[in-house]
Amino acid sequence: MNYKTLNTNKLPEFFEKIKKTGKTVLAPRKKGNKTFFATFDSFDQINFDYVQTALSPKSVLFPRVEELFTYKNDDGTYSVKEPELKNEVVVFGMRPCDGVALDYLCDFFLNENPDKLLQDRKNNTTFISLACKSFDNDCFCTSVGSSPAETLGSDLCFTDMGNGSYYVEVVTDKGQKLVDAFPDLFADTKEINKVEQLAQVPVRFELKNLVPKIPTVFETNIWLDQSLACIGCGACAYVCPTCSCFDVQDECNPKAGTRLRCWDSCAFGQFTLHASGHNPREVQSNRWRNRVMHKFNYSVQNMNTISCVGCGRCIRVCPAGMSIIEHLISVEEA
Amino acid sequence: MQELHNKIKSILENGSASLFIAYQKSREGKITPTFITKPEQSQKAYFGDDCKQNLAVYIHKQEVKNFGKVGIFANIYTLKSLLQIYAENQIRDDYLKVVTINPNGAIVEFANFMEIENYVNENKPAPNPEDMERVEKLSNLSREERWDYWLNELSTCIKCYACRAACPMCYCTKCTVDCNQPQWISTPSHSLGNIEWHIMRAMHLAGRCVECNECARVCPMDIPLNLLTVKLNDTANIEFGQQAGLKGELDYALSTFKVDDKENFIR
Ligand code: SF4
Ligand code: SF4
Ligand code: SF4
Ligand code: SF4
Repeated sequence: MNYKTLNTNKLPEFFEKIKKTGKTVLAPRKKGNKTFFATFDSFDQINFDYVQTALSPKSVLFPRVEELFTYKNDDGTYSVKEPELKNEVVVFGMRPCDGVALDYLCDFFLNENPDKLLQDRKNNTTFISLACKSFDNDCFCTSVGSSPAETLGSDLCFTDMGNGSYYVEVVTDKGQKLVDAFPDLFADTKEINKVEQLAQVPVRFELKNLVPKIPTVFETNIWLDQSLACIGCGACAYVCPTCSCFDVQDECNPKAGTRLRCWDSCAFGQFTLHASGHNPREVQSNRWRNRVMHKFNYSVQNMNTISCVGCGRCIRVCPAGMSIIEHLISVEEA
Repeated sequence: MQELHNKIKSILENGSASLFIAYQKSREGKITPTFITKPEQSQKAYFGDDCKQNLAVYIHKQEVKNFGKVGIFANIYTLKSLLQIYAENQIRDDYLKVVTINPNGAIVEFANFMEIENYVNENKPAPNPEDMERVEKLSNLSREERWDYWLNELSTCIKCYACRAACPMCYCTKCTVDCNQPQWISTPSHSLGNIEWHIMRAMHLAGRCVECNECARVCPMDIPLNLLTVKLNDTANIEFGQQAGLKGELDYALSTFKVDDKENFIR
């Protein structure tokens, strides 16, 4: 890995220069009490005072609705067009846990049957994480195997060293390219111990006890007890950086049409509803169990890793105050 | 709080409910719903101004219904919701034990929905001044400006349906957005799909919305969508003299047919 420094007061220039090359820059911006990734016209629109963004950066690779292809029927002559993704994007200010999530998401979409659209988007995007100086009660990265020092899944990782400079870890070739494009902004440095600058997030449960325990409580009442409050919306899945379920929708008439891929959530009753009318996950507790089992058991079986990065978004967003941390602790203690 | 705990305890002990739905405060200070089934858990219940969630929504949940008779701690909006739901024939008097705290801090247990009707009419919550101001501001815009405002707000909707799930008046077992043979509403969360969804949602709540603001509170995208139903309520009130959540008997403009209707198009 290469190491660089960047003067914090050079950040506006960095963004301006990136924009001049035709790339889109997304950074955290405030709407109401929440922070979202968005484009910006001037540097002062960027919000640096946030623990975590309300939505994860997954939508940059896996948008909430995207065109898979369009087709046309010109009096019996059919033509199909796939979208061409040219737009280059730089995402600034995601947290290190989001990088871990993107690594998982790419594994999911690109390993067995590589998804061309997601691959194109990935190739076109540089992800810059900004290591956490603060955390809240809903953060639990250190309980799920990562920490604010994690660099996996980021192309560049910035740490504010508190001395007027960012310590920049160059994690990937894509990150290197971006840094190399502006040699006058970045100075070389050697590896620095950044941990003192970072948030010290407490460990809430022991993953190595929890993972083998979860399948043993599959048939118990614990899921009903935990999920009576759950009202079955899609909020937790939609804000989650690793939730990857989608629905395919055709919008068409005899002359032309579009096939779309849209986010979906296992919390919806219709998610598993069969055409016969039978629903194998008939009640909400079955659906909540699936969510937790997927994150901590099925993905371990299928992809050899848990698929929760401890970002806490699902907890912050839940209309009914459901907390996956508390629920995991109660499984651990069961 | 002690009085509330005792009340819940006695309701569970004397069998008038096997589940009691209330608020609790977590160790971290978060307010969440709690589902009390044992009398000795009654001291979990908490009440304060910070208890915002409209608990009436749980009355519709299958796993709650499975408990049989249910008790519920209701703030004023939950009371209004329950009354409206009752008027719409969705609950029976004898399956629900409703408890509230009146403005003097005393516990009130309702014997039936007649009593709830009297109580909410005596303790009608004043409209939220902030919302009134925003509705007023939007009403003063031109039609085009208003359209642009909503197009802009609603284009950010991610269709998580948290607003629908949290709303006690959105209780259809099969929502119009879930009807897919044929597909009435475009499912994707693109601009058209979002506008279709929100027009449908607002229309289905016109004159039925109890103005609890849950929909706006839960929206991950901070869309002030309660303003749509607040405005429509206003219209229903002006045109038909109807206000939701204040009557135990249904008299609903959008679902009645009268031969002497003042509108010609309907005849
Ligand atoms: S856990 Fe919360 S956010 Fe997730 S589906 Fe249930 S109510 Fe919605
Ligand atoms: S399950 Fe919750 S905490 Fe875990 S990655 Fe998803 S949103 Fe974050
Ligand atoms: S809660 Fe907000 S984002 Fe979710 S469907 Fe409703 S308006 Fe859209
Ligand atoms: S304010 Fe929103 S959640 Fe409450 S009744 Fe009206 S539409 Fe439903």
